[in-house]
Amino acid sequence: MTEFNWILRGRCYLLGDDVPHADGVIPQQFIIDRETDPEVLAPHLFELTDPEFVKRCKSGDIVVAGRNFGVGQKSTGYIAMQALGLGLLCESMPTQGYRGAIHSGLRLLANCPGVTSVCNNGDEIEVNFATGSVINHTQSKSHHYSPIPINLQKIIAAGGGEAWLKNWALENSNSSSNKA
Amino acid sequence: MSQTAIEKVISRISGVPQLHAGDVVNPVPDLIMIHDGVVKSSKVMLDKIGILKLSSPEKVIMVSDHDVLYGSAKAAERGSYNRQAAKEWGVGQFYDVGQGGHGHIFPMEEGQVLPGMFYFDNDTHATNAGAVGAFGIRLGLEISTVLATGSTWFEVPKTVRIRINGHLSPRVQARDIGFYLARLIKSGIIPLNLDNRVLEYCGETEQFGLGERVALCSSPTEMRAVGVFIPPSQRILKYCETHAKKSFQAVYSDSNAIFESEYDLNISELAPQVVQPGSVSNAVEVTQTLGVKIDHAFIGSCGSGMYDDLLSAASVLKGRRVAPGVRLFIVPGSQKSMNRLVQEGLMQIFLDAGALVLPPGCGPCNDAVVGPLAAQECSISTATNSNAGRFGSRDAKLYLGSPLTVAASATTGQITDPRTLEVDASMIERAKVAYD
Repeated sequence: MTEFNWILRGRCYLLGDDVPHADGVIPQQFIIDRETDPEVLAPHLFELTDPEFVKRCKSGDIVVAGRNFGVGQKSTGYIAMQALGLGLLCESMPTQGYRGAIHSGLRLLANCPGVTSVCNNGDEIEVNFATGSVINHTQSKSHHYSPIPINLQKIIAAGGGEAWLKNWALENSNSSSNKA
Repeated sequence: MSQTAIEKVISRISGVPQLHAGDVVNPVPDLIMIHDGVVKSSKVMLDKIGILKLSSPEKVIMVSDHDVLYGSAKAAERGSYNRQAAKEWGVGQFYDVGQGGHGHIFPMEEGQVLPGMFYFDNDTHATNAGAVGAFGIRLGLEISTVLATGSTWFEVPKTVRIRINGHLSPRVQARDIGFYLARLIKSGIIPLNLDNRVLEYCGETEQFGLGERVALCSSPTEMRAVGVFIPPSQRILKYCETHAKKSFQAVYSDSNAIFESEYDLNISELAPQVVQPGSVSNAVEVTQTLGVKIDHAFIGSCGSGMYDDLLSAASVLKGRRVAPGVRLFIVPGSQKSMNRLVQEGLMQIFLDAGALVLPPGCGPCNDAVVGPLAAQECSISTATNSNAGRFGSRDAKLYLGSPLTVAASATTGQITDPRTLEVDASMIERAKVAYD
């Protein structure tokens, strides 16, 4: 198995506080439809607030958001962020969203107080999501935030909840009897 | 060392004594619940991986409450898929459409969710379990992990307390307390962050029956509480003992346990509240919204689908008609309540009033699979929240109120203070002891 890439380097996409999950991250209709397919969701990330975002963004870009990112109880949009190869830094986010983001395999630092004041939109940012190290190359400054706990990093390193389950099924002694 | 109720429960099911807030464990739940809206995505994913057997199928309760009428062929196909899934997985209990009712209501009524229990659920309002002093925790899509492996990671949450002082005035109901609390939190008068916290009500909670306790769980959940806990009273314990499908042990927070914060909530002077469109925290006193014309009204949902809620509605509707141009949907929380409606004469009252009684389940509150609103229409309901597009057009206006406020408004065609109408007092009395 190849080493998981914990480091992303790309441009900063800066957002403010209290971005709602429904319509702020992903159009509400996909939440209502309980859509979970990354291919369906990816083209619609930030669609209602920035229709060109998906065309502009590149794998490795970092969404940098303020307090209470993705507020609401759903996490559909993180599937799209992960599918587009993005990373997430935010000052805080609801726990339900945090769980969902980890389940979708998104590389994130969810506890970065003040991060929106040390990054400008378009800055070149490098983040090591395993250690919490953030380098703003445009401003030549380094920052450090708490990484997510080691046991949850394992889910992300596996590629999210589904991939983690796949590994579990392979490793689990019941897996042979699990096959029909 | 002393513990809160959630700390005790997680300690028990994790086999790790003396857990405290912040500890991360893999608890083994007493039950696992999944509803009709997510069975398919979960099973398709697990099948793809090759996980065909569940870890503990006997613990799984599969409920059909989000879409019970099948308004489209697509919905019927999903129902068919779910039936097959229940069979293939061999789930312990499968409640098909027309059976149990609302998954956050009937398992408590039937003594399956009992004091001191803990379960994982895909759905947010599993927090209703707090009405009997149990914990239901929402996992969303992660429920698949629990179905497959029997557990998942869980951080023991902090507990905050709201101390109830005083008693409700006539025609003011438990839902009004939740709306008022949400309003105080939003305005910063009660500076609480409920995110990932258990909200425990303490103080004068003895006054609340089972239905009122369910109502108390609703709004804090919308404010992101991970759980709500109401210490079970003797009345609640008696109900649970009478209906229990298995043995149980009630838990209570130690008086010297560590609570993150505690605030007083005086309810003696509380007036009926109306939630304005947007969010459950946009509550004002009913008197500030009087006269808003409505087209649609709905009584039900996991917040107000108990039998006492139906009795409250009937106390207003008895001898009255739903106003011309208004459609009123009544959605009982369970098949048990539906039967009682018929046996105890409420059904006739609703029919005479011109209300539409829907089968038990979520009703319009689940993304309007039934009873939606057109653009520019206005609704008042007992739904869980008032966000745009919750049931129907995003350009509709959604207000929330207690069952009494909604029923009163449905009869006048405009938002109405339930204190201004004569109601059937005997039904109000029956509502107080609906589960005794």
